[in-house]
Amino acid sequence: MIRLENVTKTYGTEIPAVRDASFEIAKGEFVFMVGPSGSGKSTLLRLMNRQEQPERGEVWVAGKDINAMADSKVPYLRRNIGNIFQDYKLLLNKTVFENVAFALEVIGRPKHVIRQQVPAVLDLVGLSDKEDRFPHQLSGGEQQRVSIARAFVNRPLILLADEPTGNLDPATGEGIMRLLDRINNTGTTVVMATHDQRIVNMMRRRVVQLDRGVIVRDQERGVYD
Amino acid sequence: MIARISYAFRETWASFKRNVTLTMAAVITSAVSLLLVGSTFLIQRAFDNLLTRWKGDVELIVYVRSDADPNQIQVIEDALKSQPSIIDVTKLRYLDQAESYAEAQKLFAGDPGTLRLLTPENIPSQFKVVPISQDSNLIRELGEQFRGLAGVREVAYAQDVFDVVARVSQFIRIATTAMSIVLLVVAVGLIWNTIRTAMFARRREIEVMKLVGATNWFIRIPFMLEGLLQGLIGGVLSCLGLWGLNSAWSGAVADFNDTELAALVVTDGYMRFVMIILLGIGAIAGAVGSGIAASRFLDV
Repeated sequence: MIRLENVTKTYGTEIPAVRDASFEIAKGEFVFMVGPSGSGKSTLLRLMNRQEQPERGEVWVAGKDINAMADSKVPYLRRNIGNIFQDYKLLLNKTVFENVAFALEVIGRPKHVIRQQVPAVLDLVGLSDKEDRFPHQLSGGEQQRVSIARAFVNRPLILLADEPTGNLDPATGEGIMRLLDRINNTGTTVVMATHDQRIVNMMRRRVVQLDRGVIVRDQERGVYD
Repeated sequence: MIARISYAFRETWASFKRNVTLTMAAVITSAVSLLLVGSTFLIQRAFDNLLTRWKGDVELIVYVRSDADPNQIQVIEDALKSQPSIIDVTKLRYLDQAESYAEAQKLFAGDPGTLRLLTPENIPSQFKVVPISQDSNLIRELGEQFRGLAGVREVAYAQDVFDVVARVSQFIRIATTAMSIVLLVVAVGLIWNTIRTAMFARRREIEVMKLVGATNWFIRIPFMLEGLLQGLIGGVLSCLGLWGLNSAWSGAVADFNDTELAALVVTDGYMRFVMIILLGIGAIAGAVGSGIAASRFLDV
């Protein structure tokens, strides 16, 4: 599903954020990218949906070399990739329903599809009763669920999660992990960057560890360290 | 498709409301610049009208009194034809009263006050004279001889009109063109800036849109529509202004019936043509300015 071949990415003239990274993620896998802040986890995720382009190496997603792809094709690539962030990135002037519907609206999905898909995905994340709330009326965990609903409403092949539990207390974070686990069980590939040891140890999934931009460990059913 | 169109219009309208002051500044600047563009067009046309009667190398016009009898007209014509060394006899044209009246309809089209005073009966008929000689003194001498003939109302020289028109019109043309270009650039810049501000205000939305796979065109179109609308509204305002200016001007020069000033007006038909041009320039400038801004800030 995702394959990186000798990828190097440098910001400015500093030391590379990612250096000579190579790994492959199979369809339906759940992978943690772990390491301290600045070790290159987020950069790896950003390389996977072409928010960044590497200096060297190739990134293959769903059978395509995404850096060889024309700019005009990138939006269609991204429709297959959901994104979740530590700060949720919800639109504050829109309700829960509107936030999720927005993701379908802006890729031109018709109204009747939106009316059908949005309640279904809100049901999946457990927010059916909060459709008309605004983000500021929700707890952090609920906001992250909205953002997951938005990322998943288009049924993407891949979900990229950048520190999704970073702003949440442990219990709420666990709830989010159970939700991501359920989404993973539907066949969606999940790649999650985190430095939350507890969660990584709890899940016992594949762990790719980074240190200053270099992959130092790639372990099936691993723990944080 | 309908969902996309309604999305674009909804976003455009919301952005308009959010940025009232900047939008107004952009609209007013484009209106003023377009007004100047329009004025340039009209002034040019007015001077062209003024020169209609001198078309085809006509250098000299001998106006014949409306009450002159056919004999007197014949005498004038014979006198003109007796000077083949100075004038081109083959190009000598006599416009009778009906033809002169038709020409006057064009000359005074924007000036109903003057037109109302003219009838096919009281209008002077005219001989249009194309000289062979390049010597303007010779032509002037000849013209002066005709002033004395019975039935001649007036002798007019192209040179006199050309001198004034050329000087005035060139000055006005350069001044208004320069000002309108400067202001047009300012207007595009202001529209550009408005769009940039609008995009900054919506950067979170744009970020999300890009992440969920909205195409650049989908993101760009509401902004371009906003710029286009600003240019178009500026165009409408400038049309209203131009219409007002032209009416006031036509009214003012109508008082100078017998002078060349009275011809310095434009017809309603040409006015409509200029208005369409202004709306077009406004729309295009707005769409281009905002399109460039939208493209520039989409790839951050």
